[in-house]
Amino acid sequence: MNHIEGKTRRAFLQESGFWLGSALVVSYGGQLIEKAALAADAATFAPSLFIAIAPDGKVTLVCHRSEMGQGIRTSMAMLLADELEVDLRSITLVQADGDERYGDQNTDGSHSVSMNWTRLREAGAAAREMLVAAAAKKWAVAPESCHAQAGHVYRNASKKSLTYGELVAAAAELKVPAHPKIKADAQLRLIGTGQPSVDLEPMLAGKSVFGIDVVVDEMVYASLERAPTVGGKIKSLDSAAALASPGVLKVVRLKGIRKYTNNAVAVVAGNTWSALQGRRALKVEWENEAVSGSTELRAALEKSLESPGKNFRKDGDFEAQLQGAARVVEARYHAPFLVHATMEPLACVARVLGDDCEIWAPTQDPQGTLKDVAKLLGFKENKIKLHVTMLGGGFGRKSQPDFVLEAVALAKELGRAVKITWTREDEIRHGFYHPESTQRMTATLDKQGKVTGWRHRSAFTTIARLFDAGATEPAGFEMGMGCTNFPYHVPHVLCEGSSAPTDVRVAWLRSVCNIFHAFSVNSFLDELAHETGRDAVQLRLDMLEPYGIPEWDKKSTPPLDTGRLANVLKLAASQSGWGRKLASGTGLGIACHYSFKSYVAVALEVKMKGSKLQVTRADCVIDSGRIVNADSVKAQMEGSMIFGLSAALYGEITLKGGMVEQSNFHDYSLMRMPEAPKIRVQLVKSDAPPTGVGEPGVPSVAPALCAAIFQATGKRIRDLPVARHLS
Amino acid sequence: MIELTINGVARKIDATPDMPLLWALRDVLGYTGTKFGCGMSLCGACTVHLNGTPIRACVTPVSSVQGMKVTTIEGIAANHPVKEAWKKLNVPQCGYCQSGQIMSAVALLAQKHHPTESEIDQAMAGNLCRCGTYPRIKSAILEAAQKGSK
Ligand code: FES
Ligand code: FES
Repeated sequence: MNHIEGKTRRAFLQESGFWLGSALVVSYGGQLIEKAALAADAATFAPSLFIAIAPDGKVTLVCHRSEMGQGIRTSMAMLLADELEVDLRSITLVQADGDERYGDQNTDGSHSVSMNWTRLREAGAAAREMLVAAAAKKWAVAPESCHAQAGHVYRNASKKSLTYGELVAAAAELKVPAHPKIKADAQLRLIGTGQPSVDLEPMLAGKSVFGIDVVVDEMVYASLERAPTVGGKIKSLDSAAALASPGVLKVVRLKGIRKYTNNAVAVVAGNTWSALQGRRALKVEWENEAVSGSTELRAALEKSLESPGKNFRKDGDFEAQLQGAARVVEARYHAPFLVHATMEPLACVARVLGDDCEIWAPTQDPQGTLKDVAKLLGFKENKIKLHVTMLGGGFGRKSQPDFVLEAVALAKELGRAVKITWTREDEIRHGFYHPESTQRMTATLDKQGKVTGWRHRSAFTTIARLFDAGATEPAGFEMGMGCTNFPYHVPHVLCEGSSAPTDVRVAWLRSVCNIFHAFSVNSFLDELAHETGRDAVQLRLDMLEPYGIPEWDKKSTPPLDTGRLANVLKLAASQSGWGRKLASGTGLGIACHYSFKSYVAVALEVKMKGSKLQVTRADCVIDSGRIVNADSVKAQMEGSMIFGLSAALYGEITLKGGMVEQSNFHDYSLMRMPEAPKIRVQLVKSDAPPTGVGEPGVPSVAPALCAAIFQATGKRIRDLPVARHLS
Repeated sequence: MIELTINGVARKIDATPDMPLLWALRDVLGYTGTKFGCGMSLCGACTVHLNGTPIRACVTPVSSVQGMKVTTIEGIAANHPVKEAWKKLNVPQCGYCQSGQIMSAVALLAQKHHPTESEIDQAMAGNLCRCGTYPRIKSAILEAAQKGSK
């Protein structure tokens, strides 16, 4: 739904009059304002779900995507404000609340902008056209002789103008245009520029409200001791000491929902600390059913690579090539489980009173969460109010409803509002992990060293189990993230996938399967270049030619263009000074990857001091089509370099007896400032449709890093994380 | 009852003596700008100033700060050169770590008006940012140092 065709705003308001009233209102000041004075009363001009203009000229815009640092609130507001012709700094931005009329709100897959580029621009343009038409009517002139600018409509020929506030009553009587005209590129004032975050002021004041910060009336605090393994049951529980701990109010057993949550014991108290102390005093013994560990899993993954697995792509006849090839090169790569480690651990406030439920949560997926909560409570979705707070990082973790379901279940049990705050240990041990994977790459070469055949066997713990608990094979969407959409022209390509079961939950983590597929594909290309004495950039460029859309992707929208991938690679090469002579102990590695419909190339420079590694520079080039906010694209690339380096250098979750062995930042390390390289980001100017930004920067980092280390040391790292090999 | 000064205002905290200052600030007094990230002095999200020195509030029992002066993110003026530089360079992404980052940066610049890059690295090494805003934080500190000296 875009805007309400052929309806006056009165009719529209009758149907949607509660929309602002029910939203969690985060004002420009960043404070939570419950049901603020912004309710769309009859005097407000609200031509769509996204825009409300009050008679005093106050403009309220709605962001229906979750903000987790990717700058989406600013980008969404820019799309609306540019077309509406209002000052970005004067608007109030409210966060949508999971109402299905906003359409998809699941903030994942890096597609907020591509999905909403036209929709929001048209919503803004429709409102602008109505305001212009209202002014023209007042002046009894043609709308073409008027124009809108910065919250006013001007009459071109004279100096006359009216403010939007003065026009709302008249505009509200007009029909919402069915086909509003969006601005020509030359008229855009915001889109494509770099704008600071609309949430800067409250953020710097410490006033932005994250999920963990929510406080509501009569709220108590809880901490959960969860079964250490999925499916683990309470064998014995002695809560006497916990109940005697100061401030503890109650100890509650919570039954898990296998897909999402473990069985748990909740300690409820008057504040977080008391809840934590009470939890420490619990005496609980668990009966665990899951027993497998990392060693078993890895063996199973490796073993599955010996046989073909499921066929996901077959061009030509690789097997025949294998028989007659002048040369065969093969390598295996391994990448471990990763955890999100969002700086804000999970937290949720819920209140269930009678048949009403209200939730405050840093969720990436309000609508999916609503459905799961409704199912849990047996409520209709419209009896549940879900307020989306700011997210202190998401990276896919906060797409899962587990932390909300726990809070709701506990709130129901208590009959009052409760906040569950996860500790870091909880977050690391009860994750929805990025899958562990092993890849077997085989290439056939002709006498000239040209790659004639490419076989990619990918084995990992499939995320498909999220939708189908019995899934034993990877899903097409997973293989399509860097394996089956292998962009290089090779006549004989074979992509095969297999999975191995694991006892922990696996799901999305920033850039998903692209992480290990980009690692193996790029690392292997680097090895092939080395093996055949060719330059790693030139080898890729040769294989990407002829530039254009490969036959197999012709039907995608937009399709892959190998020329755009070649372009970012060339730009990154030249920006990094590719080919220059390097000092000994120094290495420059490069990789490129197509994901989320965007093209990224990364060159990393490393310096070895003994066994100590310093990443000195990162050159990153992205072509993500049209850009909304250039500064946030840049910031996302900077962040992706650091995120990718943390994963490549240190990221590793291991299991023992079905339990996660890591617990906090001392054993799950993240990159810190002294290790961070200088980062230079280049954005390719493009007229292509806008594509992903939040995720596509990450995949190229690990292979570029390992290629650089190889150049600096002669050591090929095929098994992540890197830190394990340097000491 | 623990008495202390927070952002220049005398406050009384009714809490068990072992409660970390972090939770006293957040849950008892409502200063939610100070964040929880690890509880083990590993991430810096909870950084506040105690008599001007940056400390990790998550491992500081509230009883140990009796009678002292605590400054939180809410107590750093909006026009402080550090916040101005943060604005100019649009430093935050999700923003969650930024209170701690700013508190560490303010303390560094109070002590060293013109820190070198490696001094900045050292002073900021205890503050994690999962969103990866380190390059901008460093540039913003250099920017604030320059502005502060004018
Ligand atoms: S919460 Fe205090 S250092 Fe992490
Ligand atoms: S800005 Fe998100 S953790 Fe630093």
